[in-house]
Amino acid sequence: MVGVVPLGDVGGVAVRIVAANVQAVLGLATDILEPRPLPESAYLADRHQFDASRIVAHMAAWTDLPGHRRIVGLASVDLCVPILRFVFGEAQIGGRFALVSGARLRRNADGGEAPLDRYYERLVKVALHELGHTLEIYHCDTPGCLMQFSPSVQHLDRLDVLFCPRCFFVLRRAVRALVQAPDA
Amino acid sequence: MTGRFKILVIDDELIVRESLVGWLKKGGYHVEGASGGREGLERLEREDYDLIFLDIKMPDVSGMEVLKQVKERYASTMVVMITAYGSVETAVEAMKLGANDYLMKPFEPEQLTLLVEKLQQHKRLLDENLLLKQQIATTAAERYQDIVGISEPMQALFQLIEEVAAVDSPVLIRGETGTGKELVAKAIHARSPRRFGPFVPINCGAFTESLLESELFGHEVGSFTGATKAKKGRLEIAQGGTLFLDEIGEIPMKMQVDLLRVLEERRIHRVGGTRDIPVDFRLISATHRDLSREMERGHFRQDFYFRLNVIEIQVPPLRERREDIPVLAEHFLGKFRRETNKPLEGFDAGALELLCAYDWPGNVRELENAVERAVVLTKGRRLQRDDFAFLFRGGAPSEPHSLKEMERLHIQRVLSLCGGNISRAAKLLEINRTTLHNKIKKYGLRVNG
Ligand SMILES: [Zn+2]
Ligand SMILES: [Zn+2]
Repeated sequence: MVGVVPLGDVGGVAVRIVAANVQAVLGLATDILEPRPLPESAYLADRHQFDASRIVAHMAAWTDLPGHRRIVGLASVDLCVPILRFVFGEAQIGGRFALVSGARLRRNADGGEAPLDRYYERLVKVALHELGHTLEIYHCDTPGCLMQFSPSVQHLDRLDVLFCPRCFFVLRRAVRALVQAPDA
Repeated sequence: MTGRFKILVIDDELIVRESLVGWLKKGGYHVEGASGGREGLERLEREDYDLIFLDIKMPDVSGMEVLKQVKERYASTMVVMITAYGSVETAVEAMKLGANDYLMKPFEPEQLTLLVEKLQQHKRLLDENLLLKQQIATTAAERYQDIVGISEPMQALFQLIEEVAAVDSPVLIRGETGTGKELVAKAIHARSPRRFGPFVPINCGAFTESLLESELFGHEVGSFTGATKAKKGRLEIAQGGTLFLDEIGEIPMKMQVDLLRVLEERRIHRVGGTRDIPVDFRLISATHRDLSREMERGHFRQDFYFRLNVIEIQVPPLRERREDIPVLAEHFLGKFRRETNKPLEGFDAGALELLCAYDWPGNVRELENAVERAVVLTKGRRLQRDDFAFLFRGGAPSEPHSLKEMERLHIQRVLSLCGGNISRAAKLLEINRTTLHNKIKKYGLRVNG
């Protein structure tokens, strides 16, 4: 149902933790797929960053994974989009593909390194948030909800690993539709 | 009209524009992009926006020029300038010309969220002020009693109402302003098994987002400042009856989810409450918008649309059923004769001919207003062509008017028909908003309905 794809150089533990949490929260069988290279065309030399929207567009052109209804890419490079200085992840609203990077999740706002469990928790939150977008959930303003837009790691740390009732309603519905729909 | 927060992004750089539009869409905002100053101004002529993100540097019409025109014509629209590194001075200049703020690209994510929140708050306050003023004016607007028609489309409509009334499915009524969509909803309710329950209408376009939420869902004591008493929402009040959501196209995305949830789970929470309250109503909604188009543009949720649109009813505009005009005119004459106690006998042939020839952009409501006005002002026992001369001034031989004068009178009439709403008036007149603004200025017309 859901596939987690390491993009470039990503730790195996992180991949397993994300997959396990996605499976637990969404209630959808989740596989870890073979790693794939990051598309070089998504690198922005002037910003020393990867354009997350270009990576997602690149993923959307994959034709060899028809069995997975949702695919989340896991990267470790610094991501941005043309209009924002950085992003933690990116996704297609109502589409199949989402992307997360741990690059900015390892450090706290003061520059110090975050404990490993905190880092994994952040990664899981961003992955679930971006997968939420692929299930047509929009940004939410309910305090603590995973679908709040997080502009910083401090903000991300204030969120629960939970969707508010409104977002959870949409999620449950979308997941049910995915399970019931005949295979693509 | 308040309703949803609408945003326009004007930037000639495709990548930047798509990126910003994409981010705003994730917030569930109603957002559109324009590829340059000229296209941006054209869009503004057609539609109202609450907020514009405006690139300073554009090849066709510069951001500063667009800003000047926006501030002159659409003073309540907020503008945020998008600048590049090195053009901050121009941005400061723009603030002096009335821009609300500026952002340097690429934006800091935190700055962007804070700014959008702040501007939304600002718009909410403006809307609440506006609503207070409007409430006085709107009480008289909706009032006619019954649907009248002998034409084929109306016979088909009556047939459909009968069939639809018997089942309990949601109904979506579509039709232009003034066609009587609420009357159709009432007729369905009155013939349905729920007719002994209440008919509860609400105009979704007439509230700000937070007020709409509390109107629909009700609230518990202390859920916000000023909530000193618990209040039932209309979803609760409609218990056992019919809930009529007018202007459903104006409902914000988040509330679309909330309503979808209510329709599926048949229970609600009041704002600030945790109690499950069961609800039971039939839903009828109405819109003058093309919702499938709104859906394509990401402004309306597909799942919600399918829930609403189990049965669709189209109410035809008056110009497509002209044979109903004499019948309707007689119907309204009877009503106003009773109200005014004037001994009127009817219409003469010339008057009916004139009424049938007119296009009725404001539909049945406009016809009702016209008959009322004629009844009040006439000196004779029969309503004559001259009594309706205000519709097309040219028709009254005793009062020859120049083309200009006709235009002036026609615009004034349409403006008051639309309660001073420029967008609606422009749509009825089939001219763009700028042209309308120019004509208002030229003729020195009053804009308040
Ligand atoms: Zn997001
Ligand atoms: Zn939420």
